[in-house]
Amino acid sequence: MSARFRLGMSLAQACQDLGYKGEIGYQTFLYSNEPEIRSLLMFLVEKLPRESAETSDQPAGKSVLLQKAIADQIKAQLAVPWLPPTCRLPIQCKTQSRGPCHRFSSQPLSVPYSLKVPQNKQSKEVTEYYRDFLPAATAQPSQPISVPASLLELHASELSAAQEWESEWNSQGLLSRLTPEEYRSRKRSRLQRRIEEQLRAAAQPRPDAQGAQRSTSDLAELLQSFGGASAGGDILTKGTRFTHTEKFTFTQEPEKSVQQMAAAASSLPSSRQSEEDLRVQQQEEIAALQQQLHQLAVQMEEVGGDIRHLTTSINQMSEELKELEKSNTENEELVRVKKQTIDLLPDGENNLEKLQNLVEASVMRLDNLKAQWEKHKAPLLEEQRRLKELCSNQEVESTRMLAEIKELHDKIRQSAEEAKKKEALYKQLLTEYEKLPKDVSRSAYTMRILEIVGNIKKQKEEITKILSDTKELQKEINSLTGKLDRTFAVTDELVFKDAKKDESVRKSYKYLAALHENCTQLIQTIEDTGTIMREIRDLEEQIETENSKKTITNLEKILEDYKAIRQENATLAAKIKEA
Amino acid sequence: MSTLQLLNKIPAAECLKFLHRVVDGVCGRSYPKRTDYGETWTLSQWSELLEALSALFRVIVGKKCSDTELLSVLEESHAAAVCQCVKSRQEEIHQALVERTNAISTTQLQDFDWQMKLALSSDKLSFLHTPLLTLTLDVKENGKPRPVTIEMNREELQTLISAMEAANKVVLQLK
Repeated sequence: MSARFRLGMSLAQACQDLGYKGEIGYQTFLYSNEPEIRSLLMFLVEKLPRESAETSDQPAGKSVLLQKAIADQIKAQLAVPWLPPTCRLPIQCKTQSRGPCHRFSSQPLSVPYSLKVPQNKQSKEVTEYYRDFLPAATAQPSQPISVPASLLELHASELSAAQEWESEWNSQGLLSRLTPEEYRSRKRSRLQRRIEEQLRAAAQPRPDAQGAQRSTSDLAELLQSFGGASAGGDILTKGTRFTHTEKFTFTQEPEKSVQQMAAAASSLPSSRQSEEDLRVQQQEEIAALQQQLHQLAVQMEEVGGDIRHLTTSINQMSEELKELEKSNTENEELVRVKKQTIDLLPDGENNLEKLQNLVEASVMRLDNLKAQWEKHKAPLLEEQRRLKELCSNQEVESTRMLAEIKELHDKIRQSAEEAKKKEALYKQLLTEYEKLPKDVSRSAYTMRILEIVGNIKKQKEEITKILSDTKELQKEINSLTGKLDRTFAVTDELVFKDAKKDESVRKSYKYLAALHENCTQLIQTIEDTGTIMREIRDLEEQIETENSKKTITNLEKILEDYKAIRQENATLAAKIKEA
Repeated sequence: MSTLQLLNKIPAAECLKFLHRVVDGVCGRSYPKRTDYGETWTLSQWSELLEALSALFRVIVGKKCSDTELLSVLEESHAAAVCQCVKSRQEEIHQALVERTNAISTTQLQDFDWQMKLALSSDKLSFLHTPLLTLTLDVKENGKPRPVTIEMNREELQTLISAMEAANKVVLQLK
C-alpha cells in the first residue's frame, strides 16, 4: 500500500515538473475519475516529442525495406489458413510444406583430375580404372541427397589446400630457394623430427624398463591397426592422449619400426610352436643389448665431458692470444715514437728553433684562414636565413591550401551524401505513393464536411431565433410593466382625488392599493419560483457530476487503504520491537 | 579353405569391378550390394569375404608390400586383378588409412553445417531483428555418429571464431 502511495506521489511530482497546471496528487492516480484523467492524458500526449514526424523524413535503407517486405510476406503467409496436405493447391504447397530438411552430409569422392599428380604421369592401371570402372561423381555417394554436399566438400578442401600451399610457398618457400619438391620433403622431415621430439619429451618422466617393454608391444598392436592388419578393426584402439603419447615415444624411426613390424608379422604364423623358446631367447637378448647400451651410454657421457672441457680450454687460449697480440702492437707503436725522439736529440737547439718557427707559421696561417672564413660566412648566413624564410612561407601557403582542399573534399562528400539521401527518400516516397490506394475520393470527405457545416449553421440560426424570442418577450414584459405602472399611477391619482370626497371611493382606493400590492407580491413570487427552479436545476447537475465522481466507492477504497496502511505500520512496529 | 578363396567363385571379368566396389567401401563410400551377388555367396560368406578383402587392401597399402603369399590361394587371373586394383587405387586407400590414423581420439568431427536465421520478432517484442546462427556438428563418438546443434547470436559467434583462430595459430606454429 505504501509503495502504491509513493508511486502515485512520484507520478504526480513528475507531472508537475512537466508543467501540468491542474490539481494533481497521489489521489489522481489512486482514486481516479474520468474527466481528471482525461485532461491529464491530453496534456501528456501534447507533451510527447514529435519524433515520429522526424523519423518518417529519414530515408529508409535497403535492409529496412527488405525487412518490411519479409514481414509483409510472413504476415500474408500466416493469414492463409492451414490446409491438410492432400487439399493443397500448388501455390500453398510452396509455403506450407516443411521444406528441405535433410542434413548436410558429405562422402569422399573419387575424381580423375587431381592436383597432386599431373595428368600425363599417371600409370596405366590408374587410367584404365578411370576409363572402365569409375562411376560418375553423381553416382558415387550412397544417397543422392548427399551429392551436392560431397561435391562442395571436395571442392572446398582442394581449394583451401591449394590456397594454403600458395600462401606458404610465397611467404617462406620462395625465401628458402628450393624447388617445391625439395621444400616439401624438407618440411616433412622437419615435422617428423619435431613430432618425435615432442613425444619423447612428453613421456620422459616414465623411463622404467618394464613399462617400456609393455609399451613397445602396445605400440606394435597400434601400428598394426594403423597399417590395417587388424581384421575387424573398424574402430581403432582408442585411448587417452597420454597412452598414445607413451606408445609413440618408443618408435625410433617410423620406417624401421614398420620393417620390424613386418618381420614380426611374417614370423608370427610360421613359428607359433616355438613361441615360448623364442620369447625366452628374445628376453635374454634384450637384457644383453640393454646392458651394452648402458655401457655405451656411460662411455658416451665420459667422452662428452672430455670434449666440453677441451673446448672451454681452447676458447680460453684463443682469448689470451688475442690480448697478447693487442699489447704487442701497442708496444711497437711506443717503440717507434721513442726512436724518433732519440734521433732528434743530438742537434737539440737547432731542432727546437725549427719547431718554434713551424708553430708560429702555423698559427699565422690559422689566423689567416679564420679571417677568410668570416668573410665567406656572412653572406652564406644571410642566404640561409633568406631561404629558410622562403621555405616557411611556402609551407604556410601549402598548409593553407591543403586545409582548403580538405574542406572542399568534405563539402563534396557531404553534398554527395545528402544528394544520395534525398534520392533514396524520393524513391521511397514514390513507392509509398504508388502503394497508396488511388480510389479514395476527396468529394466524399468534402461532402461530409459541408454537411457538418450546414448543420452547424442551422443550429446557429435556431439559437439566434430563440435569443430574439427571449428578447421580444423581455421587451413585451418591460412595456407591459411600464403600461401597468402608468395606468396604476393615473388610476391612483384619479381615485385619490375622488377619495377625499366620497367614502365609497375611499374604500375602492383601499382595494386598489391592496390589489396592487397583491399583484406585485404575485409577480415577485413567480420570479422567485423561476430562480428557485434554476437553482434546483443547477443543484441537480452538481449532483450528477458528483455521482459521476464515484465518491462513495472512492471513499470506501480510501478507508480500505487506510486500514491497510495501519496494518502495515503495525507489522513494521512489531518487527522493530522484535529487532 | 581361406576366405579369400571365395573370390574364385566369380569370373575374372566381373572380379575387377567387384574389387573396385570393395575399395570404394574402404574409402568411406558404400560397399557393393549383396543383392547383386546373392546367388554366388551365402550371407556369412559374403560378410567374411568383404572383411577379408578390406583387411587385405589395408595391409598391402599400409605396409607397402605386395603380399604374394596371401594371394597365392587365388587363381592367377584373380590375383592379377587384385594387384591391378591395388595399383590403381593406391592413392585413395592411402588417403583413407591416413584418415583412420587421424581419428585417433575418442571423439572427432565428421562434418559440419550451418544455417543463418534472422529473428524478426518474438512473442514479447514486435521488432527483434537479431541474426542467429545454427551450427550443426556431426561428431563421431566411439564410432557412433552424434549430432550436436548450437544456436548462437552475434557475440557468441565472435567468441567461437576467435577461439578457433587462436587454435589455428597454434597449429600453424607447429608446422
